[in-house]
Amino acid sequence: MAFLTIRNLTFKRGERSILANANLDIPRGKIIGLMGPSGTGKTTLLRLIGGQLKPDAGEVLLDGKNIHQLSRKELFALRRNIGLLFQSGALFTDMTVFQNVAFPLRLHTQLPEDMIRDIVLLKLECVGLRGSHAMMPSELSGGMTRRVALARAIALDPQLLMYDEPFAGQDPIGVGVLLSLIKMLNTNTGATSLIVSHDLHETLSIADYVFVLADGKVIGKGDPQSLRASRSPFVRQFMHGRKDGPVAFHYPAPSFRQDLGLNANQHFHGG
Amino acid sequence: MRNLVINRIIGLGAQGLAYIATCGRAALVLFYAIFTLPRRITAYHLLVKEIYKMGVLSLSIILVSAMFIGMVLALQGYTILRDFGSESAVGQLISLSLLRELGPVVTALLFAGRAGSAVTAEIALMKTTEQLSSMEMMGIDPLKHVVAPRLWAGFISLPLLTIIFNLVGIWAGGYVTVNWLGVYSGSYWGNMQLAVDLDTDIINGFIKAVVFAFVVTWIAVFQGYNSVPTSEGIGSATTKTVVYSSLAILGLDFVLTALMFGNF
Repeated sequence: MAFLTIRNLTFKRGERSILANANLDIPRGKIIGLMGPSGTGKTTLLRLIGGQLKPDAGEVLLDGKNIHQLSRKELFALRRNIGLLFQSGALFTDMTVFQNVAFPLRLHTQLPEDMIRDIVLLKLECVGLRGSHAMMPSELSGGMTRRVALARAIALDPQLLMYDEPFAGQDPIGVGVLLSLIKMLNTNTGATSLIVSHDLHETLSIADYVFVLADGKVIGKGDPQSLRASRSPFVRQFMHGRKDGPVAFHYPAPSFRQDLGLNANQHFHGG
Repeated sequence: MRNLVINRIIGLGAQGLAYIATCGRAALVLFYAIFTLPRRITAYHLLVKEIYKMGVLSLSIILVSAMFIGMVLALQGYTILRDFGSESAVGQLISLSLLRELGPVVTALLFAGRAGSAVTAEIALMKTTEQLSSMEMMGIDPLKHVVAPRLWAGFISLPLLTIIFNLVGIWAGGYVTVNWLGVYSGSYWGNMQLAVDLDTDIINGFIKAVVFAFVVTWIAVFQGYNSVPTSEGIGSATTKTVVYSSLAILGLDFVLTALMFGNF
């Protein structure tokens, strides 16, 4: 049985459908890539899995538990097993780097302070930022913020780790460190990893299985090799970064000519 | 034309429903936060930190305002009462005005502007920068960890600030009356002692302060928690806190005064 099962998930913002009948089965202990063009509901899907949003239809089952039927207390208890790395990092700005990483440990465990200190330094060492433990979040760069946030997300060794655009804003060394870290966490702790990313090369290099989303649906899935060889026009367009194809680059709009207020026989250059 | 009317009615209905939903959310936030002060010892550190930020840091504005209000009351009261030969009743006038009305109302208005707006902006910014979301995803309830300490800190701070405001106001009024205007200090303090009643004046004034503390802090934390996560949303939430709190304080003051002193 899959660790995370998503059945007929539908989510709307107003009239606009973000997810439409999405189905995903995510096995335990694997690295899963979740890819697709911007605005296709990838981050929304992570929020639905974390129980921060309620779907209009469908269900999310984590280890057999329907997330959206849990009580508030049960949901908060379940989230201790989920780590989410936010796009922005979302560090607590009134705490130092050390206090940020120690925060979940202090609130969820009864560990003595010296042990908490060891764990925090260990996690910061993993992301290469042990030396920054006394710094405030305002003193960090965007990439460093994200790495501290990762150290905080893995502080409690969660079973499910979700990464929202982990490679964005990282320099090549940071990307390399992150890739090996995600792989290492997956191997050592057996955590299931869900990576939302646009970065084809990086994601395909470590993912065991990849889902491609477009228009709120899963349009392609498989291991990286089979996706690269896919004949589906949707998947090919995404994999090769082509502007033209079944997935529209432009957000739906009336014709450009109409928006500029031009008649049918007028030309753009005023002729 | 008919469609226009129907659309207006639909719009009005939708606004009504949204308003009721907001009230429901505010009640839920209050319910979860008020009954769930975290049990850990760390939670009391949070509470003390918030009392410092909301209460202690508001002291300067409260002290200075109380001094000026007490001094102005003394000057105005003396000018009027002198015409009737009753300048010895200035103590009575200052103490009753402060204890019954000005103390609780002015302290609450200043508190809404100084601490209430700061709490709203802080929570709203935490929401905008996804700090509340990340806390939720760590399995930590922001209502317990962020909202509850601020709510309790407000409940505790404002009544205490009101007491300080009254004391400083009465002292400053006394200083002006006795040292500048030459009223005998025995009449100032003696008349005050005779006029002020524990139940009617001190306890009623304190009840007002407790009610204002409850309303102002509730409005402040809810506006922050319910804000739209944009820079414009933070500005609008902060403004709403000050406006709604001020109106609630003045409206409730009328209701409470009518109940306490209205001779119904």
